[in-house]
Amino acid sequence: MRYLEPLLVAVGVCGIFGLWEAMVAAGIVNARIAPAPSTIAPMLVELLGRANVIKSLGVTLYEVAVAFLISVPVGFFIGFTLAEMPGLGAVFRPVVNFLFGVPKSIFLPIFILIFGVGIEQKIAFGVFTTVFVLILGGISAVESVPRELVTVARAYGANRLQVVREIYLPAMAPVLLESARLGMIFNITAVLLAEIYGARDGIGYRIAGWGESLQMPQLYAALAIVATLAIAVNELLQQLETRLGAWRQRPA
Amino acid sequence: MTQSAVSARAVTQNFTVEGQSTLALDAIDLEIPPGQFVALVGPSGCGKSTLLSLVAGLRLPTGGTLLCNGEPIVGPVPQRIGMIFQEANLLPWLTAVENVAFPLKLRGMPKRERLEAARAMLDLTGLGNFADRLPHQLSGGMKQRVSIGRGLVQDPGVLLLDEPFAALDEQTRMVLGDEVLRIWARTGKTVMFVTHNLSEAVYLADRIIVFSARPGRIVDDVPVDLPRPRTFSMMSSERFGALKDRIWAHIRDADH
Amino acid sequence: MLRTPRQIRWAQAALAVFVLASWELLPRFGVIPRLFVPSLSEAIGALYEYRAEYLAHLPATLVEILVSYVIACGGGVTLGMLIASSPRARRMALPVLRSAYAVPMVVLYPVMMVWFGLGMGSKVAFATVFAFVPTLLTTVAGVASLSPHLLETARAFGANRWQRILYVQVPASLPTLIAALRLGGALVIVGVTVAEMLGAVEGLGFLITRHRTLLNSPGVYGGIILVLLITSAHEVLLRRLEQRVQKFRES
Repeated sequence: MRYLEPLLVAVGVCGIFGLWEAMVAAGIVNARIAPAPSTIAPMLVELLGRANVIKSLGVTLYEVAVAFLISVPVGFFIGFTLAEMPGLGAVFRPVVNFLFGVPKSIFLPIFILIFGVGIEQKIAFGVFTTVFVLILGGISAVESVPRELVTVARAYGANRLQVVREIYLPAMAPVLLESARLGMIFNITAVLLAEIYGARDGIGYRIAGWGESLQMPQLYAALAIVATLAIAVNELLQQLETRLGAWRQRPA
Repeated sequence: MTQSAVSARAVTQNFTVEGQSTLALDAIDLEIPPGQFVALVGPSGCGKSTLLSLVAGLRLPTGGTLLCNGEPIVGPVPQRIGMIFQEANLLPWLTAVENVAFPLKLRGMPKRERLEAARAMLDLTGLGNFADRLPHQLSGGMKQRVSIGRGLVQDPGVLLLDEPFAALDEQTRMVLGDEVLRIWARTGKTVMFVTHNLSEAVYLADRIIVFSARPGRIVDDVPVDLPRPRTFSMMSSERFGALKDRIWAHIRDADH
Repeated sequence: MLRTPRQIRWAQAALAVFVLASWELLPRFGVIPRLFVPSLSEAIGALYEYRAEYLAHLPATLVEILVSYVIACGGGVTLGMLIASSPRARRMALPVLRSAYAVPMVVLYPVMMVWFGLGMGSKVAFATVFAFVPTLLTTVAGVASLSPHLLETARAFGANRWQRILYVQVPASLPTLIAALRLGGALVIVGVTVAEMLGAVEGLGFLITRHRTLLNSPGVYGGIILVLLITSAHEVLLRRLEQRVQKFRES
């Protein structure tokens, strides 16, 4: 019975695909703009075999990874600084909150003006979009450390380094991971948007191209690939977050 | 005269917040002989917890001297002075046994040794079966037992307890109180026990120090001459009531 | 050093002045190329210079935003409330919604263009899809975090599902609803603008892209300032609503 609910969800999802297939077969849905899943699946396999598609995927993954690897330390560092220094924090936190609320996607044309359409632009835009989430996450993580535990550690003779290693790090880990996961979602979205808007390579660029030339099976297959990868990365980070945050459960 | 386990001479504590200076403790003189069980009582904010944190070495007094076995207290010395807090303050990501072993980890003891020592301590406090549970899986009373185990694991000569049972229900409080007495009787440690609960103070202690309202001064030093081991029925005796009245008189008259 | 609220406000004011002054002066003196960042006065100047153009395209954008808002936010919140009223439905929906939230919805825009062309339809469709799942997720997750006692008590009093939703669940989760609207609204505005930037024949986003292709930086910045104004207006409206709700809850 424990698996009833996930099973129902799985059945539901299959049902939707089945319905889609049926509607195309019955002619209700125009196969030219929404081809049946049965045509998309083989195309998916074919795409994964094409060297230039794999290369494009690689470019996108590279951009996503580099942007993430830059944003995380920068964002967390700024966040920690703002949280630990009350004066700086009080001045800049409303600024960060405000900037976080400003939609970053609309600044994309500026990035093209400055950086062109190359890989660096995608990375820069990714960092720009993601770093604010991570700053807020860093602040939140430091604030989530219960001060009483620092007192306990000190009462038992912990020095500064030990307080950081034994109290701060384990306490902050789940919050940092959660904000990293959220940041990654923003990051992937930003990089793909930039690729669709203007690029020379990348899976987003290809998707835009297939859309323009009305190559629908390729388009849908690529969408499926992107969606699967994004969900997989999210799941991975979610598992880590759960593992490191199991102790945060409320008492039974 | 044997050296005091804990000695406070003219200890004063000033707190400065946003330019305002508050006197929390005013010239405290206190000598506690080894092995004595001392309760500290007084109205809220009278500084008894502050005194405890000074003895624990978490702060330095703004005036006066604090000694432990003749040596000045300049910082936390967990091997000699163990502290148990009101909220158990267990590290939520560590199991019970890991929590008890925590002070030993800070000192660099290898993993197997310290977990063994911690497990032994948990058996002592009756939590042997719960060693691998996380704090959120333990009741309030159990968490305090773990906290007590943690305070005892380095076998300190002095134990400081800061209202450890305040957050617990009455039954658990009584059970744990007996537990602390049992450990104290067997190990002969010096105990400083802060509480708001007058019955608890009279039941547990050899001697009760009564503080005034802020700034805290010692207004009475009450020896508790009830026989040991203490029993529940003693709590309804006349002597018990008289002692409580004596303490209550001070607290009631203090300006709150 | 920075302790009192007054000092903090002074520091923030100084910061704001510094930023605005830099924005104005650095491009003027060539420290930052004007192509990348035109000076503040140029950007605002462009707003004024092209005002006829902006005014002409603004209605299309606003209509798209409004329609998408109703479908995505209205629909998302309503559906969210319905799903949230059943613990079983909540449990099944949350993992699906969380995974869906991780999918970068931007990639759906090329599909929308194929289905709906370059007109307003594709913008509305895209912005709706873009904002729907986050709004839904925020609503369901928010209600799920409410005290279960509330609904239990209502059920104990014999309230049926609709009564429970209307009289207990909705009032109790008003802060969640506002949070969902805040998120969904922002996403709708962004979704419409981005869609217009990617492929359109009218609208603010379309103008921004056109200025960009002509390397007219002030025009680009002017358009972005306009979009930011719309976003701010939305935020202000929501704050008012929030205050209204606060008063209602206190009564």
